[in-house]
Amino acid sequence: MTVEQDCVALDQFPVGMRVLAVDDDQTCLRILESLLHRCQYHVTTTNQAQKALELLRENKNKFDLVISDVDMPDMDGFKLLELVGLEMDLPVIMLSAHSDPKYVMKGVTHGACDYLLKPVRIEELKNIWQHVVRSRFDKNRGSNNGDKKDGSGNNEGVANSDPNNGRANRKRKDQYNEDEDEERDDNDDPSSQKKPRVVWTVELHKKFVAAVNQLGFEKAMPKKILDLMNVEKLTRENVASHLQKFRLYLKRISGNQQAIMANSDLHFLQMSNGLDGFHHRPIPVGSGQFHGGAAAAGMRPFSPNGILGRLNTPSGIGGVRNNLSSPSSGMFLQNPTDLGKFHHVSSLPLNHIDGGNILQGLPMPLEFDQLQTNNNKSIIAGNSMAFPSFPTQQSSLPNNNNHLVLEGHPQASPSAFPGHQINKRLEHWSNAVSSSSSTLPPAQNSNSIIIGHQFDVSPLPHSKPDSLEWNTQNASSSYSIPFFYYDSSQMRQSGNYGPTTDAMLSSNPKEGFIVGQQKLQSGFMGAEAGSLDDIVNSTMKQEQSQGDLSEGDLGYGGFSSLRTCL
Amino acid sequence: MNTVVAQLQRQFQDYLVSLYQQGFLDNQFTELRKLQDEGTPDFVAEVVSLFFDDCSKLINSMSRSLERPENVDFKQVDSGVHQLKGSSSSVGARRVKNVCISFKECCDVQNREGCLRCLQQVDYEYKMLKTKLQDLFNLEQQIVQAGGAIPQVNIN
Repeated sequence: MTVEQDCVALDQFPVGMRVLAVDDDQTCLRILESLLHRCQYHVTTTNQAQKALELLRENKNKFDLVISDVDMPDMDGFKLLELVGLEMDLPVIMLSAHSDPKYVMKGVTHGACDYLLKPVRIEELKNIWQHVVRSRFDKNRGSNNGDKKDGSGNNEGVANSDPNNGRANRKRKDQYNEDEDEERDDNDDPSSQKKPRVVWTVELHKKFVAAVNQLGFEKAMPKKILDLMNVEKLTRENVASHLQKFRLYLKRISGNQQAIMANSDLHFLQMSNGLDGFHHRPIPVGSGQFHGGAAAAGMRPFSPNGILGRLNTPSGIGGVRNNLSSPSSGMFLQNPTDLGKFHHVSSLPLNHIDGGNILQGLPMPLEFDQLQTNNNKSIIAGNSMAFPSFPTQQSSLPNNNNHLVLEGHPQASPSAFPGHQINKRLEHWSNAVSSSSSTLPPAQNSNSIIIGHQFDVSPLPHSKPDSLEWNTQNASSSYSIPFFYYDSSQMRQSGNYGPTTDAMLSSNPKEGFIVGQQKLQSGFMGAEAGSLDDIVNSTMKQEQSQGDLSEGDLGYGGFSSLRTCL
Repeated sequence: MNTVVAQLQRQFQDYLVSLYQQGFLDNQFTELRKLQDEGTPDFVAEVVSLFFDDCSKLINSMSRSLERPENVDFKQVDSGVHQLKGSSSSVGARRVKNVCISFKECCDVQNREGCLRCLQQVDYEYKMLKTKLQDLFNLEQQIVQAGGAIPQVNIN
């Protein structure tokens, strides 16, 4: 069968798929043969590994899949597995009576695409053709680089994940950085992939991050990550390209705070998922998917109203929960005066407020008006949940300062806070939010505004974290600034960055995330708006191409002095 | 005629069920029977015959390994047990498989005495099963010769 046939003629395939079955136990071999026949595969059997290799070497294109027993007298099944993977790139399924996980692990690490226990059931065999298809897809994906294998060019061995030079993969793996190889492949063929696209949901990304953290960021390799994640149908290639993006993202965000970023799932997701969910809707200041649930995996595209930007990613906002909580709140809310600018924000498309999912019950938009009128400096973001949106919103805020003054707690000296009412609202909101989400830390210190505990405002479609897309109207996708600030604060404050907001939240619920407020290490925030402005502007420019930054522009100016409201 | 066939079929069915009930056979055997069809009418007989061959060979080689107390190749015995376990589970030879489990344990702790006992037991079990299945196949044959069809028996 040619590759094309296999991939296209699905009406025939898997019928007739050519399987080579190897087992020294004649009873099992006979049964296996019969089972495979029952599945309508074309079966060749041999009870010697050596003979199997000969058959395979004779004509590489003669078989689509190999099933081999592990314990064979003339050759260890794992060895056969390796050789087949190296030389022929065929998918190999291991078969054994050993159910011991270490054997299974050995199979996986030697590149088996599956491991079946004896006695084999027909149901299991009915689906083995998927391995052939998968490896072909993976191969095609990378083979646009020209290395397309004909016929049975199945990518074997190396977890079906290296499209190019599959057989060389193992060696390459040892020699190079796996990531690079795979990413190169991946990046080389962005558009011509036939592969089924893996959607990196928040949940999936969390697992990924957990695995990366477990391995140690520096040492995280796709294969190991893949193993740790233990997700079916995820290939090493998927992980590798995701890892690459993740690293780039981290670099972009923090320059050197990679470890911190490791937690910012949502943000990252937003970025890496592209601006899929980016609905370019105005993000209300402080609104957004406050409901903590959003933060969790799977928030729907959230379109925060108004000012802040767009948080729209399907993955929801919850993902990136930043540790706003932990940093000392002082950091953020320092310049209440700056909040004045806020009303620029308010000028932002409040009208765009996408009341729908964002402010679920939060009167934010209204407040917003008030903020405006009051010349509020604070953007009440409420605690946590809302925040994710907040940052994103921030991005839409042209305000360089991005001082998202998210006042989580009414206690913030109201006097200091022009938006007195806002405080109350925030409180209200926080309460509402809190109740809705367990992740919300109780807003304790009024002064801190917790911006997006959930950084998960996943809808942040950033391609660059720092693009301020204050464009409430459309598109721009970057929420980066708010996020950004968040990051820096996070970075400063705590090592964790990202989704583990709960803990952080509890430690310091009021993390005021003042955008642009504190010394953002990354320099984004800068102490003053100025730096933010620069950043914003630069990012804005970058985003210009995407259109509509007009609003953003406007907005930015206004926010330059957004600071803590308290 | 019909009654003869029916009777034979009934006999066959009862016998088969009893084999399951007595633990000689398990579900895997049922699966094997399902694989048999008009195209492969002797499939089950063929497979079990291969199995009994395997048993015989393996038991012999293990016996050799266990022969001399001072020089027991447990590795070889272990390998033999493993294989036996695999094939017995594949055909549904439940009792044989169960003995293999104990056998493996004796092997793991290098208990020669225990191994010898297990070996004996395996030998006994496979031969017993062989006899039983032979009777079953005979019944099948009689049914076919009488013009009847072999019933698909549902166990449990």
